[in-house]
Amino acid sequence: MSSWLDYTINGLIVGNVYALVAVGLALIFGVSRLINFAQGSIYLVGAYIGWVAVVQLHTPLPLTIIFVAVVAALVGLIIERFGLRPLQNSVRIAPLLATIGISFVLDQLVMLTFSPNPRALPSQLPDVRFQVGGGTIGPLDLLIAGVGISSALLLFVFLRYSKLGWAVRAASQDRDAAMQMGVDVNRVNQAVFGIAAALGGVSGLLVGMYYNQIDTAMSLQATLKGVVAEVVGGAGNVPGAVVGSLLLGLVESYGVAVFGTSYRNLFAFLLLVVVLVLRPNGLFASARQAPPEPLTGTFIAPSRPVRIPRWALLVAVAVFAILPLLPVSFYVLQTLINAWLLGMLALSLTLVAGTIGQVSLGHAALLAIGAYTSALLSLTLSVPVGLAIIAGGLMSAALGTILISPSFRLRGHYVSIATLAIGEIVSLVILNWESVTRGPIGISGIPPLSLFGYDLIDPKSVYWFSFTVMVVLALLQARLLSSHLGRSFRAIRDDDIAARAYGLSLNRYKSLAFIFGGFAAGVSGGIAAHLYSYINHETFNTQQSILALTVVILGGLGNVVGAVVGAVALVGLPEVFRIAAEYRILIYGIVLLLLVRFRPQGLLGTI
Amino acid sequence: MSNINRRTLVKGSLAAAIAGTALSRAAFADTAEPILLGVSGPLTGPNAQYGTQWKQGFDLALDDILAGGGINGRKLAYQFEDSQSDPRQSVAIAQKFVSDPKIVLELGDFSSPASMAASPIYQRGGLVQFGFTNSHPDFTKGGDFMWSTSVSQADEQPLLAAYAVKKLGLKKLAVLHLNTDWGRTSRDYFNNAAKEYGAEIAITEGYIAEERDFRSTLVRVRDANPDGLVLISYYSDGALIARQARQVGLKQVICAASSVYSPKFLELGGDAVEDVHVGTRYFPEDPRPEVQKFIAGFKKKYNGLEPDAFNAYAYDAMNMAAAVVRIGGTDRKAIRDAFTKVKDVPSVIFGTATFDVASRRVKGAMNAELVVRKGQFALWDGKPT
Repeated sequence: MSSWLDYTINGLIVGNVYALVAVGLALIFGVSRLINFAQGSIYLVGAYIGWVAVVQLHTPLPLTIIFVAVVAALVGLIIERFGLRPLQNSVRIAPLLATIGISFVLDQLVMLTFSPNPRALPSQLPDVRFQVGGGTIGPLDLLIAGVGISSALLLFVFLRYSKLGWAVRAASQDRDAAMQMGVDVNRVNQAVFGIAAALGGVSGLLVGMYYNQIDTAMSLQATLKGVVAEVVGGAGNVPGAVVGSLLLGLVESYGVAVFGTSYRNLFAFLLLVVVLVLRPNGLFASARQAPPEPLTGTFIAPSRPVRIPRWALLVAVAVFAILPLLPVSFYVLQTLINAWLLGMLALSLTLVAGTIGQVSLGHAALLAIGAYTSALLSLTLSVPVGLAIIAGGLMSAALGTILISPSFRLRGHYVSIATLAIGEIVSLVILNWESVTRGPIGISGIPPLSLFGYDLIDPKSVYWFSFTVMVVLALLQARLLSSHLGRSFRAIRDDDIAARAYGLSLNRYKSLAFIFGGFAAGVSGGIAAHLYSYINHETFNTQQSILALTVVILGGLGNVVGAVVGAVALVGLPEVFRIAAEYRILIYGIVLLLLVRFRPQGLLGTI
Repeated sequence: MSNINRRTLVKGSLAAAIAGTALSRAAFADTAEPILLGVSGPLTGPNAQYGTQWKQGFDLALDDILAGGGINGRKLAYQFEDSQSDPRQSVAIAQKFVSDPKIVLELGDFSSPASMAASPIYQRGGLVQFGFTNSHPDFTKGGDFMWSTSVSQADEQPLLAAYAVKKLGLKKLAVLHLNTDWGRTSRDYFNNAAKEYGAEIAITEGYIAEERDFRSTLVRVRDANPDGLVLISYYSDGALIARQARQVGLKQVICAASSVYSPKFLELGGDAVEDVHVGTRYFPEDPRPEVQKFIAGFKKKYNGLEPDAFNAYAYDAMNMAAAVVRIGGTDRKAIRDAFTKVKDVPSVIFGTATFDVASRRVKGAMNAELVVRKGQFALWDGKPT
């Protein structure tokens, strides 16, 4: 039974590591109600600045920590001043997209400066180990725990007893009222971003030393685990974030103990979903606390959408329909096929995120369900591909709606986090459910697209097929939105209490939206499976979900044409920037930031 | 307003793309132009490090080829397109290469989802997809234009098993593997071979690539009471596991697959990787001339940097591509046929490489049994650790 002691200690140790990121996220969320996706990137920057200090400048540890904290704080201030402050009067979703763009830019800058090769970051602490249970802990474990807990305590005291701390809390409760009382809200935001960034940078340094390894891929993972820990503890609650992190570490460790390593993250994300369903405001939210989100109506503010005359749309559809007859290269066609497939996913997401206000960050899971259903049906049961794709869409609609239904009672950011977790769960189930999905080996030899016995293999016919499916789905969705159903959806998004007062059943309408959206995403995934001929659990990953959300926000939430325009833009831009080689994702990130800066309501506006 | 801008933008880029293809067709006739290979691989994104290593290997091989007079007097060059190892981008790149008549052969992609998604396009387009890191058993089943010099795990893992069981005398093994198609396939081959040699597999644990904390996994390993740990890992995760194994007090012998063979493994693992046994395809003091040429050339070109396994794969692949193009010329179908004709190409990994025409892979990888001694890879001296 001594093993259980070891599992407990290991869980607490890794929980410590999560806590460092979670505290910074909680602080920012507490004040600006923003999930800062750039926090992981600041963590990355901190790790590499630390590397420069330790390996190049040979600074002693206290100096290294101060150096990293100062540089990271400066990065945080720059992000706040130039990335987020210009957006403070725009829709609430815009800063979220801005932090995604900022994280692209920071990650790429680090990669270009330091090369993507992992580096060793030697610990500067003496290498003594203390025997605890069956294993040992070192001084770095204690330092990480010390930094995590003391920073949470310091922040708690700061928020509760200092004048600037009061200002921070006042601003987080009601920005306008705080401003009227003479609080300089910008200064508050600066203070918060500076502190959170310093903390993020130092955590990157310490975690890098802990593993003696830093690489440019560490930022997204840090953000994901940090967000889970933070939300478990109660978003915006700093001491809660520490407890949430330790709990997350313990659950993962016990999960490994009972079921094995490949189930580890499954438990992390299940914990998140369970906590959100049972206690939607996190474990440590007090009953007196103000609601964590403003009403959804201010989360997604309607704007004046750009009106596109019907003839212009018809011309655009006609141009794209006859495109394969013109002398364009197959490369252009293939890029547009990708755009149409992403467009179907975006149609699905713009419906659930934009029209009914359930901002999903796990939409790639719907692609995966559709793709696996269609691939397995056609491969093992020899179902004709056309039917298999439709079955994939139906399966996505059914399974997606069932999976998502526990999160129907959540609002705003919490929906995003719950869907993020559900998306991860689906991907991990695919990895582990080997008897059906063939696990990591994946499914190969998926038959190509075919319709009524005719194989669609040349790019032109695939193009026409995917374009037609997307246009049909778009037309259906446009029809849906102009019906009373669309008005009910928007009513729920804008004010769910009023909508309920009018007798709308929220769960029923949310289900309907997910059924329709799930179908479109599942069809997209199904087509992709037959196009690629090989899929595994990595084909439809988190980045895909984030990309889909970016498309939807960029195009304008709820905007059908916007979703398609956004998809063409975000598939096309990285291809157009190919000449820039390694720099293309950096340029892409900057373009994304500029678009958010100048069109925060999306290119075509929210409907 | 923005609407008009958007459409002009799209049309503008389409026009540019059309113009681009026309231009490249016009340039094709020029024989002073280098013979161009397409490379689809990750230069950004989570696998970017491997793309960078490919480039180092390619560039070194190209220097050698140019010094040897090029391909019948013409220069060999490559066009590297960043796919981020993402199937959506690798299929677009595949169409780009297939429709660009200058590209005579394609190398890559890195991950199986990205490579195998592009295979149907290369197969139908009649352009060889030379996947030199694609160990997925189904990769070359994509069609007769899919060829691979990736060491088959059916070859490699029994060698590692023989090292661990027969040479090191381990009887009860804990196998930790990357839970990807590569790690999973390797694990199965390893376990079968190890059992055949009389060892018991006490526990197998698969972990995802992003994992960094292995302490709880190692408690499971400890409780299974093995006398040796086998790591089917890449160098970064392999180093992490070795470090944490020593930290939690596991003192067993550690054996690792050849993919940890990298100076980075030593750098990231530090003292913890001392005495780790690695089955590799070559080693620094290997007297074979092709190995000595590779290592000396690499160190010279990259300021004393030691090459690793991925550098070697890329170096070999470019040399193989040159050999194939020498036989097949610039006709894509002739190049496909040249893969069946090419014989005994000097190779760091295989000694000399000849394709098995039925499987479209190369068999008979070299074997070297190394151990980390004083922070360096050294040939194992037969002493137990």
